[in-house]
Amino acid sequence: MVITVKNLVKRYDDLIALDHFNFEVKEGEIFGLLGPNGSGKTTAINCILSLLKYDKGTIEIYGKPMSPDAYDLKRNIGIIMQNVAVFEELNVYENIDYFCGMYITDKKLRRQLVEEAIDFVGLRDFRKFYPKKLSGGLLRRLNIACGIAHKPKLIILDEPTVAVDPQSRNNILEGIQRLNKEGATIVYTSHYMEEVEEICTRIAIMDKGRIIATGTNDELKGMINSGEKLTVEVLKLEHGILEGVRGLPNVVSAEFYDNLLIVKSTKGKNNLVALLDYLKTKNISVGKIYSEPPTLNDVFLEITGKELRDQL
Amino acid sequence: MVAYKAFFKVISKNLTVLMIYVVVFISLAMALANTYSPAGEASFIDAKVNIVFINYDEETEIVRGLRGYLEKNANIVDISDETEKLQDALFFKEAEYIVKVPKGFSEGILMGETPQLESTAIPTSPSRVYMDNMLNKYMNTVKAYITTMGDISHAELVRLVATDLEEKIPVDLIDSQLELANNQKRAYYFNFMSYSIFAVLILGVCTVMIVFNKPDLKKRNLCTPVKIKHMNLQLVLGNISFALLTWLVMVLPSFILYGGFMFTTKGLLYLVNSLIFTIAALSISYLVGNILKSRNAMSGAANVIALGSSFISGVFVPQEFLGSTVQKIASFTPTYWYVKSNNIISGMESFTAEGLRPVFLNMLVILGFAVAMLSMAMVLIKQRRVSN
Repeated sequence: MVITVKNLVKRYDDLIALDHFNFEVKEGEIFGLLGPNGSGKTTAINCILSLLKYDKGTIEIYGKPMSPDAYDLKRNIGIIMQNVAVFEELNVYENIDYFCGMYITDKKLRRQLVEEAIDFVGLRDFRKFYPKKLSGGLLRRLNIACGIAHKPKLIILDEPTVAVDPQSRNNILEGIQRLNKEGATIVYTSHYMEEVEEICTRIAIMDKGRIIATGTNDELKGMINSGEKLTVEVLKLEHGILEGVRGLPNVVSAEFYDNLLIVKSTKGKNNLVALLDYLKTKNISVGKIYSEPPTLNDVFLEITGKELRDQL
Repeated sequence: MVAYKAFFKVISKNLTVLMIYVVVFISLAMALANTYSPAGEASFIDAKVNIVFINYDEETEIVRGLRGYLEKNANIVDISDETEKLQDALFFKEAEYIVKVPKGFSEGILMGETPQLESTAIPTSPSRVYMDNMLNKYMNTVKAYITTMGDISHAELVRLVATDLEEKIPVDLIDSQLELANNQKRAYYFNFMSYSIFAVLILGVCTVMIVFNKPDLKKRNLCTPVKIKHMNLQLVLGNISFALLTWLVMVLPSFILYGGFMFTTKGLLYLVNSLIFTIAALSISYLVGNILKSRNAMSGAANVIALGSSFISGVFVPQEFLGSTVQKIASFTPTYWYVKSNNIISGMESFTAEGLRPVFLNMLVILGFAVAMLSMAMVLIKQRRVSN
């Protein structure tokens, strides 16, 4: 096991930031920690890195207890903070060299690693640029390069795509998957469920300092009763027909507006067929049809009773 | 030594601001070396007093001898013997002293008596004392010859007295005007250096400490396998190296301007004093650097601390011109003791243990400041670490 966190409790006066927080990260996986802002993701990461003292619980990394002076463990960890942590006075190359130098003392090897990190994040053309001259996306890439240059076995990324343009975001997500393929174990925190769904092999959903569900993408979706969301384009729909749709098996809700019939259903194998058959019997011509599987937002909604998106 | 190298990279990025202080200091030092002149006169210029000589006696050898003596040592102005004219002469300072030789003066001397010369002078005039002394000296010499030689002719007496009074003792002024001016220039150079060193150190050290104390960077550094102790040690070494470098840059012009003087005891004392002051300034800068959180506050702090302490400690205005209250307040800054030592060193001619004692005591006071400020900084850092 790469990370084992047991019964972690962290209080800020009366506020409980982490409430008996438990999770495990296995070697080689991309572990996603998903939760709304203020759910305790960054607090958990800070505790794992021994940047914060906690009230109760244990944290082990590679089977050894993590502490502020566990320098051997720190040597194997790469950290990409939520806020970009680089020197304004150092250029791209110097910044990466500084952080890599904290881990690698051999100058020749360090030079090679820094060059590799620059290429990895695509900052070759900006190596002499100072952070102030970089765009938000490039700055995030620099932040990542500083965290991964020493080729750590465990990489922790705390919301690395906040305020990043779509192109840079894709670049970052692809990079994380490449790092994982090269052998690194990744812990990835985010409140963007699409990102977590896209890259994480296992996901833990957090709320109010607790892990409320853990599993793979499919496992999490399998935990809930919600089925797919069906959207059917129709020109006209009488109220009686809409009531009829609502009465179909597995249908949870049905709404009609802007020529779109939106039907939410519980899990069932033939929900779409049943809906289309019913519309056919009523002589309703249909246009485009969309079927969306449940999302992590649905998982969060069903477990907590509130939308994950609403919390962002 | 990654943090040590980063320290100097951060400094080099802010070198322009720091260089302004260095260039201004060196320019002023150069200008001072060429234009500065001391406030007071340091060499002796012989001045003669305007006097009126009136003789009621006969034109004897003694009277002629006395007049000749006075002609050599004063300017005898010709004003007729009328009370009103003599009073006007004194009032308008045409003459500052009037000497009247009474009737029977010469005969009285030869008889062994002590006849008195009458004199009138401008009240409170220093010339009065000067002329009284001059006449007493003449009369005492005459009396000494009469008493010891008894039977002596007028001509012989006058010749002997004139020969005696012409005797002069050569006096060499050790502090020539040039030497005094140079001394003051050197003291001013080193006094002014305190402001520049203080300002450069506050700006430099604060710049780096603010960067390294940024919460995100600090957290990021704490995640690395470099021990906190080693990281702090690298930063302390960086601060010390920067302070020594600043000191070297600041004292270098003194070797160019004052050459061989800097290798004398006096020069060495100036250097040691400035080095000790640099240590104190570094400690204060380190404390300030750990208190300040933004760069905007940094230049304000540099001005208040460096400029403020320089103003009240006698860097720009001599300490003797400062009020006692100001000096009392200034004594809570190392600049005051540093300037005080420089002034003592400037006036020193011999370097005895007794003479050097106040200088060394002042140096100890400055070192005390350094230790106190460093301790405060350490306590502050530890408190922050505990609270985090």
